[in-house]
Amino acid sequence: MLHYALKVASELGASYAEARYHKVDSMDFYSRNGAIISAYSEVSEGIGIRVLVGGGLGFASTNVLNRESIAEVVKLAVSRAKAHAKLLKSPIEFSEAKLGRVKYFVEPVKSFDSMSLEEKVKLHQEFWNRVSGSVREAVIPVATLWYSEWVEEKLIVNTEGVHIHSIIPRLSASYNIVLHHPQKGYVQRLEFFGASGGLEWLEKWRLIEEGEEEARTLERVLIEGVEPPKDSVPVIVGSEIVALIVHESCGHPSEADRILGREAAQAGKSFIKPNMLGQRIGNEYATVIDDPTVPRSYGFYLYDDEGVAARARYLYKEGVINEFLHNRATAKVFGIESNAAARSMNYASEPIVRMANTYLKPGDYRFEELLEDVKLGVYMKSYMEWNIDDERWSQRYVGLESYLIENGELTKPVRNPVLEITTKAFYSNIDAVGKELRFYAGTCGKGEPSQGVPVWFGGPDVRLKSVRLGVVI
Amino acid sequence: MSGIDLDYISKFVSELVKKGFDDVAIKVEKRNSVMTKMANSSVSVVQSWNSISIDLYLAKSKRIFVLHFEPKSLEDLQKPIDIMLSLADRVAESPIYAPLPEPSKTRHVEEVIDKRVMEAAENMHSLVERVVEVAHRERIDSVAGMLQAGLIETVLATSKGAMLEERKTFVQGYLRAFAHPDGSGQWCYTSTTLDINNIEFMASTASQYAVESKNRGEVEPGVYDVILSPMVFANLLEYVISMTSAMSVIMGWSMFLRNRPGDTVASPLLTVLDEPKNRGLPNFAGFDDEGVETYNKPIIEEGVLKTFLHNTKTAKHMGTTTTANAGWLTPMPWNIVVKPGSATLGDLVSEVRRGLLITNNWYTRLQNYVEGVFSTVARDAIFYIENGRIARPVTRIRVADRFGNVLKNIAMIGKELYNIQWWEVRVPTKAPYILVKNVNISKHAI
Repeated sequence: MLHYALKVASELGASYAEARYHKVDSMDFYSRNGAIISAYSEVSEGIGIRVLVGGGLGFASTNVLNRESIAEVVKLAVSRAKAHAKLLKSPIEFSEAKLGRVKYFVEPVKSFDSMSLEEKVKLHQEFWNRVSGSVREAVIPVATLWYSEWVEEKLIVNTEGVHIHSIIPRLSASYNIVLHHPQKGYVQRLEFFGASGGLEWLEKWRLIEEGEEEARTLERVLIEGVEPPKDSVPVIVGSEIVALIVHESCGHPSEADRILGREAAQAGKSFIKPNMLGQRIGNEYATVIDDPTVPRSYGFYLYDDEGVAARARYLYKEGVINEFLHNRATAKVFGIESNAAARSMNYASEPIVRMANTYLKPGDYRFEELLEDVKLGVYMKSYMEWNIDDERWSQRYVGLESYLIENGELTKPVRNPVLEITTKAFYSNIDAVGKELRFYAGTCGKGEPSQGVPVWFGGPDVRLKSVRLGVVI
Repeated sequence: MSGIDLDYISKFVSELVKKGFDDVAIKVEKRNSVMTKMANSSVSVVQSWNSISIDLYLAKSKRIFVLHFEPKSLEDLQKPIDIMLSLADRVAESPIYAPLPEPSKTRHVEEVIDKRVMEAAENMHSLVERVVEVAHRERIDSVAGMLQAGLIETVLATSKGAMLEERKTFVQGYLRAFAHPDGSGQWCYTSTTLDINNIEFMASTASQYAVESKNRGEVEPGVYDVILSPMVFANLLEYVISMTSAMSVIMGWSMFLRNRPGDTVASPLLTVLDEPKNRGLPNFAGFDDEGVETYNKPIIEEGVLKTFLHNTKTAKHMGTTTTANAGWLTPMPWNIVVKPGSATLGDLVSEVRRGLLITNNWYTRLQNYVEGVFSTVARDAIFYIENGRIARPVTRIRVADRFGNVLKNIAMIGKELYNIQWWEVRVPTKAPYILVKNVNISKHAI
């Protein structure tokens, strides 16, 4: 069927055609206070086709998988691309790239059926029992747990000989815990987990213990939390927040399609302009890498959805803007080869430039060493609220679990400290970097229609020299 | 899957009942649409979709299963359905189970078809050309955006005998214009029918705001009276109204966790309705996913919370009746409509001594849903207002406040409603400009 689609496209005059069979198969359980609200299953399966015709790019998809239907959508992709070609300012072309013909699969260490359904249901009950029982003065009116097993299969072919078959199983989970104290109000925590592989990740994530510890900690934040210092102080930004910062303020602005304006009306442009490679954005500690090949990662792939071999990309290197994320179309504009950042959510989605696993390079400080020189400061460990402007310059992170640092030691909890900072200020103010690299999972949104793809973001704890924190009103 | 065969779907429901499920509902949606994406006043991609999706609701012994398929054929559904059947005796009863309701009508066909939309879909390049040309009548440098048109056909069948059909066209778009050195403006449009004047208004408004917001300056953080455009108000309302879904309340994702219908939650000037029967908005719906006939209703009326949004399950859980907003699990608003006030935009501006006009926003996130603590990034044209006049364009600020404060501090409501739906507003909304007093504005410290 895929090769038939290529044949029809070529016969209709496409200079390039690509066909992707893409299947996503998932099984989810969602519980509230230990009781399963619902089981959820999803299977999406179909073909996405891209063509280049007269310099125009056409995409069409269908889940009606017979020759007649496939020919029909190929014709739509070609005819509509052709009709729009006269509106192009310049033709869309694809760069050279290291194209592949391979099969690769991620094999779970523990398969999804290595645990019985009863045990999976029991996980939800146990989570609620332990989390709700972990607090003393506060109460937990609601705690929800979501658990998902899913498998993504792709077969990609194109008119340049690409043939990539991949199967990647993934496990995801998240919990939402709401704590209430009659005099102190509410705190809320959403935590998300994800990786490729199988049930072996449950042992690493320790959902029950993690939820229990978080509830206990958040109770302390709720009851004992104080305001952050009003003056500028050193701030230790925990790895969870560092991970998000590098995703938002390095990964996204380094996407070449955004730099060229393709996402301008949606997720926005970038403070990075096409001629800014080599310019300084931070100090020597600012090295950010995006690497799809991290084994077992949530954003794992070896070939992208254009069939290009993946590799690590050094986006910021020792404080300098070093490399953009490219697909074949953006790489052509810059006169280079694609570095394999084209990803799509499902068969109905065009491949666009995406991150995979983005992280700040770790340093050599132990956590205690980051603390020891700080007379008065704040450690922000986790967050709930965050956002960044559409050029990826001005950003805000509101701490959830946070502590005052006094004379090198963590003392009182701090409630809702606000780190509101520009990208350059963040990367220029780092004065020490922790040695322990931790990854966090997320679903990154981009494109129109919006596509959510699995990513990891990571980093060590870092220390900022001096920042004035705000506070939620 | 090649089409919607009503007899086949009806038989499929009967077979699932015979298999042992107590409740069965199936929703089949056929979607044909085309979207042209623009950037740098050029076309970046044309996307076409011909797809059929099947959503299934199954219940057995008070256990609930929801399935979504975009399958090759109905036969592909058998394996996941059999897995669900095998689960039924091994998980506990769902605490929100309620039987599917009797349908309001067993056979019903509803249609909002505008043939001009289908013609526009076939000749999208002409519409794109026109929009780009209209935008460039102002002294701008480039536009980016999207235009989409299509047809959606839906069939809903339930084990209670419903066999309901709906067909509707839709056209949506948004445009963001850029004017050197730093001006930008964005506007959007959505409807079930094609209205060239409104689409051109979208383009010219985006361009005007781009030109007027050039040469931006800074503004200090603090408390300001703020005029929110329909784009911004629709975005914030989407968050607020989604939190009136009873499932959001039950699951701990709502600022109304502590409220009951009858509580005052907003300024008496504010009335917000859910309008499924509004034939001009794309989420027009004659019936909900449980087969209950929809009806227009106030959610907030003169500042008072009138109802949560319910399906039969959440209604039973909270001891009330459905509001015909199913979602089998999560009740959702259909179309959000704000009752207009009497002010023009000029009236709102002249009311402000020291304030801001924010024309667009994005990236709204919450620190705490239960307390409604949020911030959102103001984007595109933002203007500082002094003594009742727009003084100068400004940049890089965010609204950082509580939804409860924003709702209660609404001081004036515009008389003109605009059809809003875009990347940051998914539920079609008719919203006006509004004036909100004492809004907290933040910005980066370094």
